[in-house]
Amino acid sequence: MTPDTAEPDADGPVTMMDYFMQLEYHELLCPVVRRYAEQLLDGKLIGHKCPSCGLVYLPPRGYCPICVVETTDADEIELADHGTVTNYTVVTPVQYYGQEETEPFVRASVQLDGGNATMNLQDLVDVPVDEVRVGMRVAAVWKPKAERDVSEISNRSWGSAEGCIDGWKPTGEPDLPAEQFLGKAAF
Amino acid sequence: MADIAIVGYAQSPSWRQSELTEPQFLFPVISEAIQQAHVERRDIGFTCAGSCDYLSGQTFAFVMNLEAVGAWPPISESHVEMDGAWALYEAWVRLQHGDIDLALVFGSGKSSPGLPSEIYPLQLDPYTLTPLGADPVSLAALQARAMLDKGTITEREMAEIALRSRQHGATNPYAQVKDGRGDVDAMLAEPYVTAPLRRHDLPPISDGASAVVLATADKARAVCDRPVWIRGIDHRIEPHQPGMRDLTESLSTRQAGNHAGVADRPVDVAELSATFSHQEKLLREALGLGDRVEINPSGGALCANPVMAVGLARIAEAARAIRERGATRAVAHATSGQCLQQNLVCVLEGA
Amino acid sequence: MSRPAAVVGIGQTKHKKRRDDVSLPGLVREAAQRALDDADLTWTDIDAVVLGKAPDPFEGVMMPELSLADALGAAGKPIMRVHTAGSVGGSTALVATHLVQTGLHDRVLTVAYEKQAEGNAQWGLAGGRSGGMGAGGIFAPWMRSYMARSGAPEHIGWMVAVKDRRNAAKNPYAHLQMPDLTIEEVKDSPMLWEPIHWHESCPSSDGACALVLTTEDGAKRSPHPPAWVLGTAMRSELGTFPGRDPVRPQAGVECAHEVYDAAGITEPRRQVDIAELYVPFSWYEPMWLEGHDIAGPGDGWRMVESGETQIDGAFPVNPSGGVLSSNPIGASGMLRFAEAALQVRGRAGEHQVPDAKVGLAQAYGGAAQYFAMWVVGATLDAVDQTR
Repeated sequence: MTPDTAEPDADGPVTMMDYFMQLEYHELLCPVVRRYAEQLLDGKLIGHKCPSCGLVYLPPRGYCPICVVETTDADEIELADHGTVTNYTVVTPVQYYGQEETEPFVRASVQLDGGNATMNLQDLVDVPVDEVRVGMRVAAVWKPKAERDVSEISNRSWGSAEGCIDGWKPTGEPDLPAEQFLGKAAF
Repeated sequence: MADIAIVGYAQSPSWRQSELTEPQFLFPVISEAIQQAHVERRDIGFTCAGSCDYLSGQTFAFVMNLEAVGAWPPISESHVEMDGAWALYEAWVRLQHGDIDLALVFGSGKSSPGLPSEIYPLQLDPYTLTPLGADPVSLAALQARAMLDKGTITEREMAEIALRSRQHGATNPYAQVKDGRGDVDAMLAEPYVTAPLRRHDLPPISDGASAVVLATADKARAVCDRPVWIRGIDHRIEPHQPGMRDLTESLSTRQAGNHAGVADRPVDVAELSATFSHQEKLLREALGLGDRVEINPSGGALCANPVMAVGLARIAEAARAIRERGATRAVAHATSGQCLQQNLVCVLEGA
Repeated sequence: MSRPAAVVGIGQTKHKKRRDDVSLPGLVREAAQRALDDADLTWTDIDAVVLGKAPDPFEGVMMPELSLADALGAAGKPIMRVHTAGSVGGSTALVATHLVQTGLHDRVLTVAYEKQAEGNAQWGLAGGRSGGMGAGGIFAPWMRSYMARSGAPEHIGWMVAVKDRRNAAKNPYAHLQMPDLTIEEVKDSPMLWEPIHWHESCPSSDGACALVLTTEDGAKRSPHPPAWVLGTAMRSELGTFPGRDPVRPQAGVECAHEVYDAAGITEPRRQVDIAELYVPFSWYEPMWLEGHDIAGPGDGWRMVESGETQIDGAFPVNPSGGVLSSNPIGASGMLRFAEAALQVRGRAGEHQVPDAKVGLAQAYGGAAQYFAMWVVGATLDAVDQTR
């Protein structure tokens, strides 16, 4: 048996070959996400509220997967751009191809005030990684309007506001009790 | 094996490029199939999907499609990284247990975002074929060449198949290529894309989805006055290397057809996943389909090719031929891999 | 129809960070050949093949059943490829089982694998983008939530990590061989996704697992004791929606109850002798013990702390070393199913749990949203015997 990592042997049999491939996919942005992106440029977080169950989806998907009904512009609801950290993790980045992160970074879930939408995998800014707490009150840090850019938003952005919101920063208000949120999971 | 029937079916139109996401255009297709079946979503005992990550350009792409199903409360559900026709097969097997009586099957895919010539070489043997960059059209061209050299087809016949498919496609609201005008001589004057294949010999690039609802016998009779019975279904694969197969025949289609019992009784209609014109003749012969059989009244894959849904769409179209146009017995065929490496055959009957 | 199905052949590869000594066909055949040999069958005895693995970009080969058809002896046979994220190894085994139970085929070979060192799994999991959460980043907040909900002390995760690696040292196939790992070493290892430390996380492995399933007649003729499939279940739920509880997913609860019902189990903690649960991060052991109603709410971590889940405890969990010790992603689910079967056949060698007659296996995937489970028994009435 050969060792774990085969070293190429100039005179020996070929045991390994590199195959690098690059695939490009160009997908039209669907109308629902296009509109979400336009509203982000305008400094607004707009989701869809299901006409049947009342759950709010941010970003909107064009349907409620629970009720299996379509949602449209008529179901739009504007959401607060401030809220509470309900959960988080600190990721130590692995250096894989395309990775740009080098230092540990936080990804947090922020429950928007009004209680009916949570944004997941959000950046937190102006707070050291080891001071992040569940229950922390935060507000969105919007890029200046002229700098906002939604070109990175795709149909598969998984709830991103990237290009418009730099992250969420502590407001300085007293924390809400962590137990209120940790019990309910999420994200 | 227990009798299983198709009690509902639906398709999206095929688009060259949809602006909707896959879950968004899948959503109404699933709802329509369930509605047509006259069943309740919550009564479905098993769901199976077919789709492909590399086609979608995303790992775990199928996860988003679950949102189009109604997966809350939780459901019993599975997924194959294959055409929806194989998802139908898995559901058909599951229904044989007899503990549940309804299954939902769907297939979906967007071919528009990616480049087939970039993606499909990855579907080949990574050591000997992928590095050659062998794309689907080139491989199909090799197969067509083999048939031409053997004398089992002519370029004129290929053009005739293409023209007839388009004429059928013109009558199909779901078809993408619907221009039935043209004449064979003009078509033969067109240049090759990859010899000996011309543009008309190739499938379109399509985004689309299809869905089917299956029921066990008692349930089928309860919900439906015209269930479409699956009399036989089978699938087989051949060796991978094109050089190891006789590309002018489809041995696995023949085997699957035998196991599915195609020859047991006369066939009225056949919906074949012939992605390239020459493949229609090849598949006809593999399935022993004579001149009286109407081939691809839907227009087939030459008129709409929503990869991952196209095989299931053949089954839906065969069911349609029985339920809506009075056919008694139909054969549907699905394929996977290049040059018809893997094939599924499904025999349907109206009574 | 539903007739009994039994596992009569089990094979797996030596799982390692990189299996540069074999090609993709070589990897799957190593496991498959071992399973066939175990069953005293040959390639031509097999009627159908079911292949399972995680996303194709992990190796850069699309729809590999096509290029592996020859290596798997599938030419002229039906072959399917299942893909249900992390649970795939389990759901693949279930699809294969159904082919036998429904009378369609008499002898089915099922193989699950991942040769992720060929590609870059971290890249694949990140969807090819920067700032990926990695394998554990999505789950870490949920583990935090479990700890808060249950009041579990922080050392529980470390205990699971040590237990599984010590178990793996008795399993010659396991990737990580760390017989001397200590709690302190786990606690002091670098943080990966706070609060999960390096040693609390699964490795990235190349490996494959294979099973041969057959009928009652086939089982009678097999050279070694069969493992009877007494119950199967699959459940999926939406991965994200407002108000979802991903810590105790409803799909996991329902899947467990369905498999218990199918097998005739009413008290899993008492009636099941050994469990192989998909635990890729240490805290998932107490979470699944509760999430599948083996332990009551808040009791999962107590089962760990009291030593009940140790290999010599009252409810051994992952005597094979589990996903924490070997994680070829596409195969990990089938390894759980295989190890449970190995136990009730009495063929687990050094990591055998004595008198194991009823085994439970579980695999999960996606955002803890896909579940596949089975119960296997040394005899068809193994569960009845526990009443």
